[in-house]
Amino acid sequence: MNFGKFFELAAENGITESQIRVGKSKALSISLFRHEIENFSVNDSQSVAAAGVVNGKFGSATTERLDKDTFPFLIKNILLATSLNEKVEVADIFKGSEKYHKKNVYNPALAAVPTEEKLALIKSIEDKAYAADPRVCEVEVEYAERESESEFYNSFGLKLKQKSNYFYVVVSVIMRENGVTKNNYAIILDKDLGLVDPDALVKEAVEGAAKKFGADSIASKKYPTVINRDVMSSLVNFFLSSAIADSVQRHSSMLEGKLGQKIASSKLTIEERPLEKNIFFSYFDGEGVATKNKVVVKSGVLKTFFYNRETAKKDGVESTGNGVWGGGSIDTSYGNVFVKPGKQSFDELIADIEDGVYITDVAGLGTGMNETSGDFSCQAEGFHIVNGKLAEPLTLITLSGNLLKMFKDLKGFANDVKMSTGSISVASAYIKSMNIGGK
Amino acid sequence: MISKSLALKVLNVALSTGGDYAEIYVEETTPESFMLENGRVESVSCPQGYGCGLRILNGFRSVYGYTSDLSPKSLLSLAEKLSASYSEERKITVEKVVSPRVKQHINIKDHVQDVPAETKINYLKEIAGITQSVDPRIVRVQTGLACTVKKTEIYNAEGPEAKHFTNVQERTRVFVVAIAAGESGIETSFSGPGSSDGWNYFTQKIDYKKIAREAGEKAIMMLTAKECPSGRYTVVISNGWGGVLFHESCGHPLEASATSKGLSVFSDSIGKPIASSCVSAWDDGTIANEWGSDNIDSEGVPTQKNELIRDGICVGFMVDRFNGRRLNMAPNGTARRQSYKYCPTSRMSNTYIAAGKDDPEQIIKDTPLGIYVANFGGGSVDPSTGEFNFSASEAYIIRDGKICEPVKGCTLIGTGQEVLMQIDRVGNDLALGQGNCGAASGSVPVNVGQPTIRLKEITVGGRGGKLE
Repeated sequence: MNFGKFFELAAENGITESQIRVGKSKALSISLFRHEIENFSVNDSQSVAAAGVVNGKFGSATTERLDKDTFPFLIKNILLATSLNEKVEVADIFKGSEKYHKKNVYNPALAAVPTEEKLALIKSIEDKAYAADPRVCEVEVEYAERESESEFYNSFGLKLKQKSNYFYVVVSVIMRENGVTKNNYAIILDKDLGLVDPDALVKEAVEGAAKKFGADSIASKKYPTVINRDVMSSLVNFFLSSAIADSVQRHSSMLEGKLGQKIASSKLTIEERPLEKNIFFSYFDGEGVATKNKVVVKSGVLKTFFYNRETAKKDGVESTGNGVWGGGSIDTSYGNVFVKPGKQSFDELIADIEDGVYITDVAGLGTGMNETSGDFSCQAEGFHIVNGKLAEPLTLITLSGNLLKMFKDLKGFANDVKMSTGSISVASAYIKSMNIGGK
Repeated sequence: MISKSLALKVLNVALSTGGDYAEIYVEETTPESFMLENGRVESVSCPQGYGCGLRILNGFRSVYGYTSDLSPKSLLSLAEKLSASYSEERKITVEKVVSPRVKQHINIKDHVQDVPAETKINYLKEIAGITQSVDPRIVRVQTGLACTVKKTEIYNAEGPEAKHFTNVQERTRVFVVAIAAGESGIETSFSGPGSSDGWNYFTQKIDYKKIAREAGEKAIMMLTAKECPSGRYTVVISNGWGGVLFHESCGHPLEASATSKGLSVFSDSIGKPIASSCVSAWDDGTIANEWGSDNIDSEGVPTQKNELIRDGICVGFMVDRFNGRRLNMAPNGTARRQSYKYCPTSRMSNTYIAAGKDDPEQIIKDTPLGIYVANFGGGSVDPSTGEFNFSASEAYIIRDGKICEPVKGCTLIGTGQEVLMQIDRVGNDLALGQGNCGAASGSVPVNVGQPTIRLKEITVGGRGGKLE
């Protein structure tokens, strides 16, 4: 499409400043069930989002329908949105950053691998999973690949483009023994297919499920608690969402008034590195602002909030390049988060715990978390820790606490760091004491 | 949205390699939403969706693809790509298209998108004003309205005659979030009535002023609520949205997507007792103008009223065409999807425990010590083990048959098999509550529902120690 035409048409309609973003994505997914391809899917989609400012009021519109009516549709709806917008803050469209740190993260080799090879890979994983343990009764394996391309233009002549791709392979196993069912899964997310180790993936899924047999509840009380890296990545994510300046400015964040203060144990250091060259790399944000790496929490001290241009203006600071634009108003988000790991191995981390709990999975955190207060309560499973070693498995217990208090009680991290699918790299954490609900 | 002649071509290319069923799903959505902060309009959006999903089944295999380019070239190319997954002789040639009549359950007289934007904004401002005025400790009020009109067209074929359906869905939801701040911290309360009805539902059928006031009052009340105790207790769950417990713990494991593959705890349960004998339950997609209702499902099967549990015995599942093949059961109008970007599968619509005989007040009176859950935030379930969790957004202690002090941070956990057997009292006050359910085929609007019920004993998680 000729975007020059859009800017001309926008200006003719009184939209003096505007921006437009075109997103294209392609996806492939294959899943197996009982040695057959159960689902095979190929997708191709596109969308256009446009925004403009009229008399200091922002408005935007988006569509997946690309034809001769696309530009008039976008302009009509931008005009409607700006006319109804009652925000007092004066909006404008960002002209562009001085410097951008563009890197090529697209891996053409991934797209070039024939579908048959991807299918063969997951078939081998399925076979290995069934063979791994006689108790394995059902296996599901899925391969998914996604390629996305984003182009961003504004009426000041800014042109930005980014292309990326990744795949994931997930294997889920269901095991049965004496009428009791246990399940587990393992996942790898990357852009280099050569990194998939079928044996390791199967081992993680099957051993994880096998260890859950014989699980029971435990007496309700406070325990020294170790939380695995997957669960930690969810908790860190909730914690960081409180650092979004918009929530702080609207009095909905537990971090309000805490900038520059010690909010957590000195063991906690969190960085956001959007420029890290991995599948989550991004060199410009939703407003076209150049992204940058930053320390968010340093040795327990809160160093910055996440800002877009509007919230930065309110606090008299520069945007941190965290604007996101889904097609409506400009929001704020983050990604490529790195939590500084510790030096001890997992075994060393739990070595001095006499009577504790190791949490391996939680369910219901989405609704069990009060994001404004940080209070949470969720279903959990894991293991009892007895005299420094993992003992019997636990199920249907509850883990509850408060996020701020939990990070204050953080005694340290292990060195078993891993990047989560939600782009948070974190290790297992040892919390001095948490509420475990059971018998 | 696409011509019958193009549909015929696409179906025949799709079925050229041995597929035994092909389906074209075309969709155009025109949503509008208004978001207000403290009574001020901050965002107006209307993200237009447009695209087509194509599915080809062959026995127990399924291929699916979608595109947002509806040109003949794009659709025929998608059909070719997908059909390349199979390599058998053609079984079906589609020769003509017929358009069967479908009974309409949705009949809207006053379309929400026809109401001027200013009227809807003023309505949201009135709600925000009422919530705000409850107490000075209300520091933030968010109100919003989202109305989505979705036009769909389905062509499906499993023989020489393809069926063609057109459908329009119109759903509206209004929400209010009240945030209160006090010395103890910050508390939030949410209310979000929704309907497939017109504007009169929001202005006349519901008491929106009461909803606005209660949102504020609940956020304030939670500021002083004590932590919920933990342990195993008798729990009474209120009617309406309380039904999310049944939705999660029993509804999902009764979906054919779980039962057909032996992945559900209820896979082999038809004809067997799975609940206490006072429990009967339904999934009914035909209730007039309800939030979870529709005329046809996402694969062109008319919606139905499906019985799931009769007097504690499992009598049915929610069955979609694909999973129904493994079960040898006919599809029953429950295949749903969020949009053309999702392959349809069995999902709930309006799912509820039927009314019983007990007076809800008497159920409370007969409970010496326990927890009363007035409202849930939500929850989730693992269909293979039946393990579930729910977090209450509003809960109270019951002492000596009376509802007493409020508690916060209350989570119920257990397994579906256990909880259904634990129901010992069922009230006569059935009500429905609106939500959005997320699963494999995306987020779909559903009603949950139940009368007031009592669970003899269930695990309660909280930070408040033992209940005394």
